[in-house]
Amino acid sequence: MDATRDLVIMTRGLTKDYQMGSETVHALRGVDLEIRRNEYIAVMGPSGSGKSTLMNLIGCLDTPSGGEYVLNGQAVQDLDDDELARIRNREIGFVFQTFNLLPRASSLHNVELPLIYGGVGSAERRERAEEALRMVDLGDRMEHKPNELSGGQRQRVAIARALVNRPSILLADEPTGNLDSATSAEIMAVFEHLHKNSGQTIIMVTHEYDIAAHAERVITLRDGQIESLDADITVPHAVAQ
Amino acid sequence: MPLLEGLRLALSQIWAHKLKSFFSLVGVIIGITFLIAVITIVEGMNRYVREDFAGSIFGINTFTVVRRPSIQTGRTTEEQRRRYARNPRLTLHDVDVVRRSAPPGVTVTWDSDRGFDQVRYGERERKNIRVVGASEGYATVQGWEVARGRGLSPLDERRGLKVAVIGPDIAQRLFPAESPLGKEIRVGPYRFQVVGVFEKRGGLLGGIWDAAILLPFSAYDETLSRDPGKLDEISVKAPTEKAMNDAMSAVEGGLRADRRLRPARDNNFQLQTSSGLLSAWNKINNVLLTVLPGLVSIALVVGGIVIMNIMLVSVSQRTREIGLRKAVGARQSDVLVQFLAESSVLSLVGAGLGVGIGVGLARIVHALTPLPASTPLWSLGLAVALGVVVGLVSGVYPASRAARLDPIVALHAE
Ligand SMILES: Nc1ncnc2c1ncn2[C@@H]1O[C@H](COP(=O)(O)OP(=O)(O)O)[C@@H](O)[C@H]1O
Ligand SMILES: [Mg+2]
Repeated sequence: MDATRDLVIMTRGLTKDYQMGSETVHALRGVDLEIRRNEYIAVMGPSGSGKSTLMNLIGCLDTPSGGEYVLNGQAVQDLDDDELARIRNREIGFVFQTFNLLPRASSLHNVELPLIYGGVGSAERRERAEEALRMVDLGDRMEHKPNELSGGQRQRVAIARALVNRPSILLADEPTGNLDSATSAEIMAVFEHLHKNSGQTIIMVTHEYDIAAHAERVITLRDGQIESLDADITVPHAVAQ
Repeated sequence: MPLLEGLRLALSQIWAHKLKSFFSLVGVIIGITFLIAVITIVEGMNRYVREDFAGSIFGINTFTVVRRPSIQTGRTTEEQRRRYARNPRLTLHDVDVVRRSAPPGVTVTWDSDRGFDQVRYGERERKNIRVVGASEGYATVQGWEVARGRGLSPLDERRGLKVAVIGPDIAQRLFPAESPLGKEIRVGPYRFQVVGVFEKRGGLLGGIWDAAILLPFSAYDETLSRDPGKLDEISVKAPTEKAMNDAMSAVEGGLRADRRLRPARDNNFQLQTSSGLLSAWNKINNVLLTVLPGLVSIALVVGGIVIMNIMLVSVSQRTREIGLRKAVGARQSDVLVQFLAESSVLSLVGAGLGVGIGVGLARIVHALTPLPASTPLWSLGLAVALGVVVGLVSGVYPASRAARLDPIVALHAE
């Protein structure tokens, strides 16, 4: 009973096919997943195993070919475009490997973006964006443009943007993939803090064990299917194989 | 997305690509410039014709007899021009014929124009003045009011007195500190005593007459006339339009009889009315107003296509941005509004520049030529509306393409 009430994400037999000319690529072949509030999860698996596809479905950026996806008690697979946009705006914070910041906009404006589409008035928008930037330690970089920031700072702006609308889940697809190890540690510290102090639910794709080690639970994928729902990555070859 | 946000974004986007934006707007700018410039001049002309020209310069219910038309309506063929040149020049004998054949109640006046000359008083001099010799009553028929002194009288004419009524510009130039009345001015070797000064007229043709000297015809004829015994026009003013029309046929018949023209032959003189000039202007006006929408539409369609292409390029260059906006919650309609706002603001900026340049051009034309200029308010509204419509129409396709982009595909675009 308690377990289902705390469930943020539940998928049943989730599939995703891509049509490549005459060939069909089965990127996901039936994924069953349950993720509870305030879990901190790493998703691992070989390249092409379907990690990004899964993240995109969870993040409502894409719709499944089959199966069920329930997000916060709402069946998502049948929603139309506008409803999906609303969920992306309210429930999901996405952090990308390549940051995806608007190059000409200040940190502040980048962080305000989800609030604009959320219909938040400009005064509150600014206040909340400033607060989110302070939370990732960028209180002194509000007016900087992305090209005036280091890689780690850019990713922190992206995290602030993902968090500014207080989403129920934070999704990060290889958030440290473009960062060196020192900067990666900086980002992991932010995630750690969000998880411990703000009770944020975090799902993060990575192929680095030391990054995955920050998570509470590691899910592994292989060929579009769940290989393990709680992998033991202290024995690296168990995953690498 | 709130419209305000869309407009703000649009302006910053346009500002970020100032040069590209400007060049993409050339079509719209040309279209609107043309629209405003033509409307401004047509409206200015119309006002002038209505308020100034038709009434006072030419005189209401007045027609003139001339050797050849002073303003050609339509195209004059080479043959017509030769025929006009064969027409005999008007003489005082023709004045008698006109007087005799015209019904009672009309006023007949005549004049001859020496063209431009210069006038002196002592050391002072005024160039480019017009010297006109005219019968008594001419100034009244032309609607010229005397401000100081008196006008020409029958006595001046009969006695061949060397007197002159001068335009206000000449009075100001030659007599800045004293009264011109009673003073002797010189045109060439001849002296004339100033007996009056005309009221200032201003305006398109009025400006010329403000620097004119009016002499009694007899004095003019024996001094300054380039062609003694000949005159340029005979004016007939009637009390009503109907009386004018009656007088016209009577005068036509009288002159034909006097010149012994057989029924098959054309007149070897011309009758002109201000309504003839008005209809000439109306013809030009109609042509302008007929071609105007066509030319403006062509420019705007071309401008719209250019904007559409610029927007398509912009959408494809900003695919990732669109993907990101969708990823953080932009709906299709938000993206649509964003790009429609951008194309509309872009086109509106073009329309604004067009209005500015159009009004500027009309001002320049106004300053360099006597053509009046008057920009009606509705034309500005029309320009703004056209700008918005062109922007919206040319933005629909690119904006809907942007709106329909798949977020994942857009995010991974290069
Ligand atoms: N848009 C797409 N069109 C066709 N095939 C795709 C598309 N996206 C992913 N795939 C295929 O789906 C599979 C899973 O891809 P992905 O989820 O990106 O894997 P991962 O993130 O684990 O590397 C791969 O075989 C990939 O080639
Ligand atoms: Mg991937």
